[in-house]
Amino acid sequence: MTRKILIVDDSPISRKMLKSCLPKDEEYELHDAGDGLAGLEKFREVSPDVTFLDLTMPVMDGVEALEEMKKHDSQAVIIVSTADIQVKSIEKVTALGAFLVLKKPPTKENVKDALLKAYEFLKESHGI
Amino acid sequence: MESDYPLISEEEKDILQEIMNIAFGKAAAELAEVINIFVVLNVPYVKVLQAEELPEYLLYEVRDFSNISIVEQNFWGKFKGSAFLVFPAGAGKGLITMLDPDHETSFESGSIEVLEKETLMEIGNILIGACVGKITELLGDVVTYSPPKVVVENKPHDILPNKLFDPEYTAIVMKTLFRFDERNVNGFLFLVTTHESVAWIKQALAEFLERYE
Repeated sequence: MTRKILIVDDSPISRKMLKSCLPKDEEYELHDAGDGLAGLEKFREVSPDVTFLDLTMPVMDGVEALEEMKKHDSQAVIIVSTADIQVKSIEKVTALGAFLVLKKPPTKENVKDALLKAYEFLKESHGI
Repeated sequence: MESDYPLISEEEKDILQEIMNIAFGKAAAELAEVINIFVVLNVPYVKVLQAEELPEYLLYEVRDFSNISIVEQNFWGKFKGSAFLVFPAGAGKGLITMLDPDHETSFESGSIEVLEKETLMEIGNILIGACVGKITELLGDVVTYSPPKVVVENKPHDILPNKLFDPEYTAIVMKTLFRFDERNVNGFLFLVTTHESVAWIKQALAEFLERYE
């Protein structure tokens, strides 16, 4: 099954790093965006199965983008991928409905683990 | 000299920026563990300069502050350079209560100026140490540090370094702007690497990226 993945990060290198950590034994329809606002627009346009969202971004930061994405789809699976690992930041995005928080830099193991949890949730909640 | 030396590419700048982002995030988290503070982070910025342009660049970046306090620390390894943590005047006094909420040390340690200096030194130690430490960890190096030097409340022109490196050399400046939310204090962290680190940084960035190819 092809999964729709959206990666929202202002750093092209960071997007590249995350893409390279996606498990190779699956098929994806990949989308990306370079700031929170562009990410929100893309999110509304493609309805991704899973969104990876950075927090520190220009134009619209990840916290605001997360809020708007959850308003649009309260069941959306949004994995916050961030360097901001302060406890208060993690608590804040968790309260806003982030599925989980992935510490940067990503590794193949923790991306795979996060996606397995996401797919499990999608299967239980959406039957997909 | 500079014209013969390889500068860093746009892609290498992007990687350094992301590494600075990760490193400062780690530093902020470490500071938040020690004191009850939330650090608002911004997107870091990387710039390559001739070392002779550095003083002017630093002065321009802190132009909104009439007086500043600064924590300076040098680091040595393959990654070699200087870190400057810059706060506007008065920030140190505002931060004293965060490290010492009950003012227990105020009578033992003497004047408010001494306490301010100690507070800035402690915050500088944590932020600079954690940030530089994480960068070198990601790039596969270990560095040693000079003791931090603190200058409290002075004109930027008087305390920012004006002869940091040989003026003909290239320096890479990594800048991050942050804000201590509860105190509404803005600050900058500048990391300036020396000319001789550039070749090693390029190699280390290539190896870092190889992990993601």
